[in-house]
Amino acid sequence: MEKGKVRDFLLWTLLAIVVGLAVSFAFLPLLGVNSFESMKIMLVETFSDRFTMGNILIKTTPLILTSLAFAFTYKASLFNIGAQGQFYVGCICAVAVTLALQTKVPGIVVLLCAFGASILGGGLTGLLIGFLKARFNANEFLVSMMSTYVVQYVMQLLLRTVLQEEKGEYLKTDYIDASAWLPKIIPGTSVSLGIVVSLAAAVFIWFLLYHTTLGYRIRVTGLNGDAAFMSGINPKKMCMVAFFISGAVAGLAGFTEINGMQHMLLTDFESDIGSYGIGIAIMANAHPIGAIFASLLFGMLQVGGTALSRSTDAPASVIDVMLGFVMLFVLMSFFVRHKMEVRRMKQQKLKGEEA
Amino acid sequence: MSEEVIQLKHITKRFAKVLANDDVSLTIHKGEVVALLGENGAGKSTIMKILYGLYRATSGEILVDGQERKINNPKEAMNLGISMIQQHFSLVPAHTVTENIILGNCKGRIDIKAKEKEIEELARQYGFEVPAGEYIRNLTVGTQQKVEILKALYLNARVLIMDEPTAVLTPQEIDTVMEFVRNYVARGNSVVFITHKMKEVMQVSDTIVVMRNGRICGKVKREETNEKELAHMMIGHDLEELQTPGGTDFSGRKKRLVVENLTIQPKNQAALLDNVSFEVHEGEILGIAGVSENGQQELCEALYGAADITSGKILLDGEDITKTNVKERIQMGIGYTASDRYRYGMVEDMSLAENMLLKSSYLKRWSRRGIINWKKLRSYTDEQIRDYSIKAPDNGVTAGSLSGGNQQKLVVAREVDMGQKMIIFDQPTRGLDLGAINYVHKTILSEREKGKSVILVSTELSEIFALSDRIAVMYKGRIMGIYKNGELTTEKIGLLMAGYQPNEEAVV
Amino acid sequence: MQVFINLIARAFFMSTPLILGALGEVIAERTGMMVTAVEGIFLIGAWGGFIGAFLSGNMFVGFLAAMVCGLLVAFLYGVTTIYMNQHQIVMGTAIAILITGFCTFFYRVIFGVQTVPLTVDPLPVIEIPLLSKIPFIGEILFSQNIITYLTYILVPIIFYVIYKTSLGLSMRSCGENPEAADAAGINVRRTRFLAVAVAGCMGGVAGAYYSLCNVGMYNAEIIGGRGWIAFGICFLGNWNPVGALIFGIIFGISDALGTYVRALGNASIPSELFSALPYILVIVLTVCRKQFNVPAKLGSNYVKED
Repeated sequence: MEKGKVRDFLLWTLLAIVVGLAVSFAFLPLLGVNSFESMKIMLVETFSDRFTMGNILIKTTPLILTSLAFAFTYKASLFNIGAQGQFYVGCICAVAVTLALQTKVPGIVVLLCAFGASILGGGLTGLLIGFLKARFNANEFLVSMMSTYVVQYVMQLLLRTVLQEEKGEYLKTDYIDASAWLPKIIPGTSVSLGIVVSLAAAVFIWFLLYHTTLGYRIRVTGLNGDAAFMSGINPKKMCMVAFFISGAVAGLAGFTEINGMQHMLLTDFESDIGSYGIGIAIMANAHPIGAIFASLLFGMLQVGGTALSRSTDAPASVIDVMLGFVMLFVLMSFFVRHKMEVRRMKQQKLKGEEA
Repeated sequence: MSEEVIQLKHITKRFAKVLANDDVSLTIHKGEVVALLGENGAGKSTIMKILYGLYRATSGEILVDGQERKINNPKEAMNLGISMIQQHFSLVPAHTVTENIILGNCKGRIDIKAKEKEIEELARQYGFEVPAGEYIRNLTVGTQQKVEILKALYLNARVLIMDEPTAVLTPQEIDTVMEFVRNYVARGNSVVFITHKMKEVMQVSDTIVVMRNGRICGKVKREETNEKELAHMMIGHDLEELQTPGGTDFSGRKKRLVVENLTIQPKNQAALLDNVSFEVHEGEILGIAGVSENGQQELCEALYGAADITSGKILLDGEDITKTNVKERIQMGIGYTASDRYRYGMVEDMSLAENMLLKSSYLKRWSRRGIINWKKLRSYTDEQIRDYSIKAPDNGVTAGSLSGGNQQKLVVAREVDMGQKMIIFDQPTRGLDLGAINYVHKTILSEREKGKSVILVSTELSEIFALSDRIAVMYKGRIMGIYKNGELTTEKIGLLMAGYQPNEEAVV
Repeated sequence: MQVFINLIARAFFMSTPLILGALGEVIAERTGMMVTAVEGIFLIGAWGGFIGAFLSGNMFVGFLAAMVCGLLVAFLYGVTTIYMNQHQIVMGTAIAILITGFCTFFYRVIFGVQTVPLTVDPLPVIEIPLLSKIPFIGEILFSQNIITYLTYILVPIIFYVIYKTSLGLSMRSCGENPEAADAAGINVRRTRFLAVAVAGCMGGVAGAYYSLCNVGMYNAEIIGGRGWIAFGICFLGNWNPVGALIFGIIFGISDALGTYVRALGNASIPSELFSALPYILVIVLTVCRKQFNVPAKLGSNYVKED
């Protein structure tokens, strides 16, 4: 992209985000909450102390990964709406491996195994969808959408049976041993190594897409499958590879959340990060590095929203409204930008003729 | 002259990227055939789409029967008796002939049987044989053309616009269309005939309007002009003459490509390629003539490893390559410019440099251990942009932002480089302006000089005659014969293209 | 035996909103528009229907409110995709997220925090005289609510309109070859927009079915992917109203089966798998069936340069 266009894109997206947030805040008085007051609360509370600021990074960690999952397949013109399910598979794998190995082998080995297991679990779930698409031409949008619900129920079944805590009281697993926790990296906060893992994943995905021949082939397949085929690229293989990587990244979020944050698995765990990830990826126009910043923004909103619902009558769902409106306005800004571009080109042409 | 049916006055149409029509004024009389002649991109189709309500003019006015009219959509044009047959047929393949004809012109419940009768009756009036209940996807292009015509007749159109109606037809089918046009205007209707073929213009028109770069650059009566003058008006200058090959003796040269009994036959369908055999020597251009969709694309794809071959053999430099795939054939040094370059040859939303990498993503040329060396690729792209005089600001702009001619130059530059042994050109000049065509032709001839083998598929006979050493004619997946350039007259090749062996009955 | 009859009757009961939603989807997709906002439309229908019925005490008002809500979301979806040319899947996903937040937020605005869930009496069953007395069939088919009856009547009507009238021909042409439809004087964008609007109305009512006919209350999880199932039914039924009916019933059965097994409360049965049955079924059926009759330009926007 040309420099001017990047700047244009950032400006318009920023504007859309501001408008989206403004519209959301405008709804708050309906609950008897003052818009400006709540804006202030969100800002002050979010940045009040080290611990809360750390929470932003904690919220951001899985969002980067699920948004990468959507963004990566989107680059191949495929739709992986099932990041939530792949995340759950990653969680199940991470927690199962950790519970099985902990205290028997050194913590670092447990962590590495859980890391590998979550990637593999999520990746294979993704690969299955990619395979169904490549082999049977099944609609991947529909299949990935449904896969989340299936995984959700399977997870419930597991939590009720084999994975359930020893007390057998709630639908959750036992806590994992502290030796298998991801180490905390910022003193005075709960921020774990997980954030580094997901930042590294974003950079890795970016490098893969734009600096390797594999990423190039995936992008070609996405933009023009026929041209890809005519260039010796196997579009079906690319579809499966893209889905594997996408699923693996979503699965990785299971590792960062289980071993880095929650230290156990329970039902309805982080049940929104899949759809949030899609929204964030759209906000970032599916760019891996953009996804980091969009996730950060959203992590901030989440922390602020929680603070808001604690000190006022506003429900936590105000965050969903915000994300929804922000996405809507970002998408509309794409349209406005396109319209203006067309008009600019017409005028330039006109000048060129008169000159 | 008889009464004026349509008058277009000072029409200007501006798109985002181009000025398509610039102050175009034009009159259509009753009972007249107006030929709109010009190169691709001259603005012929645009001006007629404005008359038909598909586009809205930026400025200017339209008079119908002397009264000013605003035509905002095709519906309004039809109500005024104006109908248009698009270059790419606007038929719905999944619907029947009848459904296509009555589309948009019926109300409420459809009595399909009665409508079919009505349409068969209409077809009979004009001597067309069209099965009213058949699905469009099962019809030949010639018959589809007739359905398009019937669509206009069903609406009682009195002004019929035909956009390149002969592009996909055999010479004999073209005659049928010409006959219809004469027959139709004799009943007091008018026809606008959009074309870039001089021959047809001289055959059918009363008035000839020549367009160039969105402007009208000449209006003449047919009787008062000739093809040479028209060509000059169309291009604005005389064309550089090319040195046509021919007479070279290849018997001593190495055989580069040998194709033996190549057949592609999908299950329960007619063969797409039927027992095709030929050979191409080093430094030879084999022209493949034929009406489009007679197996040319399948042949090219088979040679490029992109089609499933039922039986037969392909040998490159004596080595059997039948079982190899596209990736391997690229490695062997075969280049291919597909006729549909947007679909098969480039990625519009990628930069020029990225498009240069398209065919070589598996080669070691611009990557090491799977990591792309952008610096090297970009400087190579810059070189190519310079060598082929591609008009582009830099290597970072998207391929889609270039004009059609420059896009094709980009594709040709890449494929000429990829095809170190052999290059397959499928309709390499389709949709290009004459300057770009000339450039592509020169490139093809110079690659021949370098000793590369070239297969040139074209539906333009002039192109085949200008460039080929030998000419093969294809019809329904078969090769009707291979001749040295110079042995064939236009008439004879026309018969071959229609499936007739000279002095024989049709081979079906 | 009675268990079986109840199960099947329940299946028809549960199939109603799926069929209704899928029929709306068929109408829109025949013109080339995938209504990917369907999950959001279902949800806002359930929400609006409940609020309308609860505040007015009148079921009819509830369904009318649901219809208007569905229409508004369809309107938003139609404007952004058809007139603003945004990607249909991306836009649908965005709208689904927006609606999720919107419904929860405004439920809170209207009703505040409630300790006990608010309820309405579910829509009554209408027993059709004589017919409902036929053994088996009477209990299964003719002891349902008004929405179910209407849905089943809609199937042949929609089939007739799509395949036997000029309106249907125009609609199908927009989905097969919009350029041709445009050249034939049909306003492609308007046709598509109206089809999406109709799908929105039907989806709204379908959503309200869950809050007003099934449980008589509203919560955020009430739809739980059933909008997507209706979307899938449209695909599986090959974009044909009759296909939508058949697959709607199949999914009704699996839905009823899941509810039945859950209600048994036997811990040794993996009831979760039965609950997941409809979703598994969509995947399996999508894979095994050969799809045909797909509208050629399904999911691609019609853009004209100007």
